[in-house]
Amino acid sequence: MLWAYAFAAPGFVLFALVILYPVARAFQISLYNWSIVPGSASTWLGLHNYGRALHDPIFWRSLVNTGFYMAVTTPAQIVLGLGAAVLLDARIPARGLFRALFYLPVVTSWVVVSLLFRYLFMTDGGLVNWLTGQHVDWLGGRWTALATISILGVWKGIGWSMVIFLAALQGVPVELKEAAIVDGAGPWARFRAVSLPAIRPVVAFVTIMLVIGGFNVFTSVFLITGGGPLDETQVLLTYMYRQAFTFLDFGYGASLSFILTLIVFVLSLAQLRLFRRPGEGTA
Amino acid sequence: MRFGRLILALALVVAVAATAAAAGARVHATRSVTTITFWHAYATNAASPELQRLTKIVIPRFEKLNPSIKVVQVPFDYNSLQQKLTTSVAGGTLPDVIRSDIAWVPQYAKLGAFAQLDKAMPDFKSLAGKTYPGSLATNFYKGHYYGLPLDTNTRVEMYNTAALASAGITSPPRTFADLRADAPKLKAKGIYLFADSGTGGWNVLPWIWSGGGSLTNSTYTKATGYLNSPKTVAAVQLLVDLYKAGAIPSLMTGDQGAVGTEDGLATAKYATILDGPWMFPIFRSAYPNFHLQTALVPAGPGGSVSVVGGEDIVMTQSSKHKQAAEQFIRFMLSPWAQTQMAHAGQMPVRTDVSKQLTKINSYYAIFEKQLQTARPRTPSPNWPQIDTILGNAVATAMKSGNTKAALDSAAQQIDGLLR
Repeated sequence: MLWAYAFAAPGFVLFALVILYPVARAFQISLYNWSIVPGSASTWLGLHNYGRALHDPIFWRSLVNTGFYMAVTTPAQIVLGLGAAVLLDARIPARGLFRALFYLPVVTSWVVVSLLFRYLFMTDGGLVNWLTGQHVDWLGGRWTALATISILGVWKGIGWSMVIFLAALQGVPVELKEAAIVDGAGPWARFRAVSLPAIRPVVAFVTIMLVIGGFNVFTSVFLITGGGPLDETQVLLTYMYRQAFTFLDFGYGASLSFILTLIVFVLSLAQLRLFRRPGEGTA
Repeated sequence: MRFGRLILALALVVAVAATAAAAGARVHATRSVTTITFWHAYATNAASPELQRLTKIVIPRFEKLNPSIKVVQVPFDYNSLQQKLTTSVAGGTLPDVIRSDIAWVPQYAKLGAFAQLDKAMPDFKSLAGKTYPGSLATNFYKGHYYGLPLDTNTRVEMYNTAALASAGITSPPRTFADLRADAPKLKAKGIYLFADSGTGGWNVLPWIWSGGGSLTNSTYTKATGYLNSPKTVAAVQLLVDLYKAGAIPSLMTGDQGAVGTEDGLATAKYATILDGPWMFPIFRSAYPNFHLQTALVPAGPGGSVSVVGGEDIVMTQSSKHKQAAEQFIRFMLSPWAQTQMAHAGQMPVRTDVSKQLTKINSYYAIFEKQLQTARPRTPSPNWPQIDTILGNAVATAMKSGNTKAALDSAAQQIDGLLR
């Protein structure tokens, strides 16, 4: 028993140092009008910063925008990632090449692809408008800009979910599939009744990770629209960043990040319950 | 034989002791040299003219004149310097001297990060008296000066002659009336009259001031009655009308998908922009065939008034070598150092050096003229918030057309940030 704790200790110490301590510290900062100068006094505000967020229209808009990004990118990455995984699980020529190609966006830099997408979606001279023959002001409006950012998120994320689904699909027992064939099941029925239930825990894992990732969208928004025009495309993290690092209002910034943490935590718990198999214990 | 060994051993001991003593003496000699660290964002590319001048000519000369001081300069990218400042304030790891953007000084002065130069330097008054008042004012916060101007700049009108000529316009717009008259002619040719990349203070204050309006009262304590005064509203209304008439692109209201100002001007999509002296080398390398022309900011009822940009030089409160830091600041403001940096595109802040400016670079003339009436942005630690509110208000007015309402609400919000 003691040995178990001893082995867990190094990991836990690291976790406490780089996760728990900053979280506790951020909560402390969020309760003050925080002065970043060491040794200078900060004013105690209690929960004022949290109340301020509730009355801040840009906070609510950034929450809706973050939710929109999460709601669009999560299902899209699951469906497309799973689709790609199923296709690349089959015996097709150049399978390894396709797997690598689908994974390529995942390993490219967020900064590079964000700037690239900004050029692709430029109103005049952008490749997207040129190819479609349209004159859409993609980055000039709230929803079209969020759509652009979501497309980037999906494109960049498919490879990640694909790789995980692929690994899970390869673990589905061949005997079960063969038995299903003997029973006369078609490809769709086999996928729905055999493969999907077998990879259910993996789907749960991918969903939870994508929801968390969706709520943490930052780099693409920061570089493509900067939250503009008129704060219409602000997401929680860009708004938090601006409060803390542009306005040096670290108390308010910390409270925004704490609200985000709470939302993500509650959503993750809810999903864990949702994905629990009937009859599974309450863990 | 044994005796021989003894001699050898003795000789070795003596040699080692002598070397150690010499090393000790050297350590002693270096102890009297003070090293100060200087952070700046002149450029990050070591081959850039600013860095070449600074590291090859200016700092070596300072070190020659002050043998007991060594200057370690650290270049940053403009945007990362501010982040670095913030984290260094929190971590207590600031350098001795910083070349700070003029807009940052009150923000960090409020945090207590910068030293009060007017109290620290006995010759502050005489140095300050030689600089442009508009630049000096950017160092002021709550009764004290936290820095001295180091270099300055301002925005002037830059235009594309061919774009104007294609609409039959022979001279650049010099007044608000010219702008209104030229807009439909250019629009008919598919050219935007004027473009800018935002609606913040840097962008719209020249229009507000030239229109006779203002952001706040002269002591920077109130915006209501100034930002929403009839003259300010009329000046912003000019931008609103031009935007509604299709003479200003959506770039100005924050559309990141629109063509940027320099590309648009050089390719005749935009006829005029407002920009600073650094654009000359940029155009020269990106569009060598484009002949950049300049004029004063179009004049309105308030004349032609532009906005002061540039950098200040500050000493940090945490510096352990304040005497050496002051000496370096003094040197950077000397006519010699100011002239040296002027050769690398840094406009001097000393009025006596500015007189020879056009000999160094002919395109400085227009900026020098514009600087005579140029004004600083509101020196306030809350400037980033004020700037955001102003920017959103003007962009809202341009999109909705309801100028008065947008400025009324902005003035009320800014009032709360000025106290």
